[in-house]
Amino acid sequence: MSSLAIGAGIAVLGALGAGIGIGIATGKATEAVARQPEASGDIRTTLILGCALAEATAIYCFVIALMVIIMLK
Amino acid sequence: MGDIASRLIEELNCETVFTIPILGGIDVYESVVVTWIISAILILLSVYFTRNLRVHNISKRQAVAELIVTKLMGMVKNMIGEEGEAFVPYLTTILLYIGFANIFGLFGFKPPTKDLNVTIALALMSIVLVEFAGLFRLGPKKWLHKFIEPLPIMAPFNILDIFTRPMSLCMRLFGNVLGAFVIMEMLKLVVPVIIPAVFSCYFDIFDGLLQAYVFVFLTSLYISEAIE
Repeated sequence: MSSLAIGAGIAVLGALGAGIGIGIATGKATEAVARQPEASGDIRTTLILGCALAEATAIYCFVIALMVIIMLK
Repeated sequence: MGDIASRLIEELNCETVFTIPILGGIDVYESVVVTWIISAILILLSVYFTRNLRVHNISKRQAVAELIVTKLMGMVKNMIGEEGEAFVPYLTTILLYIGFANIFGLFGFKPPTKDLNVTIALALMSIVLVEFAGLFRLGPKKWLHKFIEPLPIMAPFNILDIFTRPMSLCMRLFGNVLGAFVIMEMLKLVVPVIIPAVFSCYFDIFDGLLQAYVFVFLTSLYISEAIE
């Protein structure tokens, strides 16, 4: 049981990448808005879309962790 | 803790509602029934909105219908571009269906997209559409040539793409809906009042609609890549 928990925890470590990715994207978006405030609408749409795509990595980690717990039980 | 784990497993497998007694019994799952309900709602809405359409002197109802249709189709058309205009109605339908399916959890139904079978079917429909769009627009020769672009050494990766694309589409949708559900359940366990309502706005409404948008966006991206 405890090794299962450790395995699921390791699987979720991959969410690190999503965090870094969304952080970089948001930072760049902030820069872009500061440079061109009139384009903030387009930038926001693109940022939300990019975040949703980057989030997918974390979601995969979550699905795999869940599968580790449920399938190997 | 053991309680929530068993509840999760219970929520994961979709139960059979009834069985059609032909061909040795066809199981009808809950997600299928909820899909029927969504289809019925969408069909009734479109019948209601499209009655007595006129060119001049339009009624308020027709104005609303025109607004919805032009906004949604314009959004999809922006994503796919001029060449892919033939695919706009299909993509808009998918957008409407996934959007409705994701926010259907608010009304006490089980969202169909939480069933892996539904998202797999949607992803397969997308990839079949993408490949056939390329095949018919470019012709077999050019379509096959696409596999060795930009270099012949890329061929295995291009072939692998056919399998990884639907995989990522279906897992993204399924994982998002399931993840939102799990987080909401845990939140309800810790704070039963007020706070879940705030988070429900994000997880059920915003995230659900965003995932519908992302699904359609990626499909249209693949299509426009395949037909260029």
